[in-house]
Amino acid sequence: MNDAIVKKAVVDADHLPIWDDPREAIYRKVTIDLDKCDGCKLCVVVCPANILELFGPKDNLKARLKTDFTGCMSCNNCYAVCAGQGIFATEPYDFAGYYEQKRISEFAFPRNF
Amino acid sequence: MSDVLELEDLEDLECELEAADAKAGRTARRRTAIHDIEPGAAWNDVEHAILTRRSIRKFKGRQVPAHMIRRILEMGRFAPSQGNCQPWSFVVVRDKAMIAEMEQYCVAVCKNMTASVDYTNYPPGSEQRAAIMENTQKLNRASPNSFHPVPMTAIKSIANGRFAVFHKAPTVILILVEERGVGVPEVDIGVTGTNIVLAAQSLGLGTCWVGFSRLLSSNAALLEKLGVAPPFEIAEAICVGYPIGNPTQQTVSRQTHQIVWWEGGEKQILY
Ligand SMILES: Cc1cc2nc3c(=O)[nH]c(=O)nc-3n(C[C@H](O)[C@H](O)[C@H](O)COP(=O)(O)O)c2cc1C
Ligand code: SF4
Ligand code: SF4
Repeated sequence: MNDAIVKKAVVDADHLPIWDDPREAIYRKVTIDLDKCDGCKLCVVVCPANILELFGPKDNLKARLKTDFTGCMSCNNCYAVCAGQGIFATEPYDFAGYYEQKRISEFAFPRNF
Repeated sequence: MSDVLELEDLEDLECELEAADAKAGRTARRRTAIHDIEPGAAWNDVEHAILTRRSIRKFKGRQVPAHMIRRILEMGRFAPSQGNCQPWSFVVVRDKAMIAEMEQYCVAVCKNMTASVDYTNYPPGSEQRAAIMENTQKLNRASPNSFHPVPMTAIKSIANGRFAVFHKAPTVILILVEERGVGVPEVDIGVTGTNIVLAAQSLGLGTCWVGFSRLLSSNAALLEKLGVAPPFEIAEAICVGYPIGNPTQQTVSRQTHQIVWWEGGEKQILY
C-alpha cells in the first residue's frame, strides 16, 4: 500500500476560500527542467490555464510560468505534449475550508496491474 | 425443475450448448471472448484510448468529415442509461458563424459575471472588494459548485479573451438532456459523452468537453436557432477537431483515490 497523504476528515466546511489568496487557493507549482526544454512552445499552446510563456534569447527559448500565483489545475496537458518530459505538475490543486479535498493521495502514472 | 431458472441450471445449460457447439464444429456464438490477461500485461486498444485521451483546446483549421462525426455519435447512441431511457439528443454545429455567435454570447455572460462577482479585480483592503465579496460569498454558498475557484478562474480568462469557450473547434456537439429521464439523467449524459469522446480518440480526433456551454441556456433566440426546446436543455458540449501538436506524447499522472476493498471478511484501504 502506498504512503497516502490522507487529508484530515473534518475541515472548516463553512469557510469559503479567498480565490486570490495563495494560502487558501492552492494551485499547483509546475516544475520545468530547463535542461530538457528546447523551447518548442507546445506546452504554452495547450495549457488551459494560459499560464506558461517562453523567455530568453531567440536561439535558446525556454518555458516558464507567467506569474508565481497561477491557475494551474494540474491537468498535465503540458507534460503530455512535451517531447523531452521537461515540464510537469506533480500534486493536485487544493483549497482551504469548504473545498478542501479528501481521500486523495499523491499522483501516479497509469499502473498496469 | 422449478419455474425459476437457478444460476446452476444456467451454467449447466451453457455447458450443454458449448458441448453441442463443439460437436457440430461451431465456434462459440453466445458471448464475446473472455480475455484472461496476465498481471502487468500491455494496455489493450480500449485501455490505450482511455489513457492517451487529453482534452484538446487547440485545433487545426481542417473540418472533420461529416461521416466521422456521425460515427462517433453512433457510439454515444449505444451508451448504457438508467432504465434504457436514453435521455439525450444532439445538436451538431459546424458553421463558423454559428459557433462564433455562441462564443460571443458566452464571452458576454462571462464579462458580466466577472464584473459583478470577481472581487479579485480589486486589491485587498479596498472598499469595492469588500462590497463585491460579500455578495459573491452569498452566491458561492448558495451554489458552491458553480462558484468553485477553478471555473471562476476560467470565467475570468474567458472574460479577458485569454481562453475560448468552444476552443475555435471546427465542430461543436451540444448534448441535450431530456429532463424527464429516469433517475439522474445527467449521469447518462456523462456516459454517452464518454463513449463519444473515447470513440473520437480511437479515430485520432481531439475532443474537449465544454461545461460552459450551459451559459447558452439564457439566450432564447440562440436556443431557438439551435432547436433546443423543452423538455430538452443543454447539458454539455463536446468540441471536436484535429489536435495541434502531439497531445499523446505520453500518458499523464493523476491522483490516486482511496479504494475500500472488502474481501474474505476483511477491510483494506488501497490506493
Ligand atoms: C463534464 C466536463 C465539463 C468540462 N468543461 C470544460 C470546459 O468548459 N472548458 C474546458 O476547457 N474544459 C472542460 N473540461 C475538461 C477538463 O478541464 C479536463 O477534462 C481536465 O482538466 C482533465 O484534463 P484531460 O481531459 O486533458 O485529461 C470539462 C470536462 C468535463 C468532464
Ligand atoms: S513543451 Fe517541453 S520542450 Fe516544449 S517549450 Fe514546453 S517544456 Fe519546453
Ligand atoms: S498542468 Fe495543465 S494547467 Fe498546469 S501548467 Fe500544465 S497545462 Fe497548464
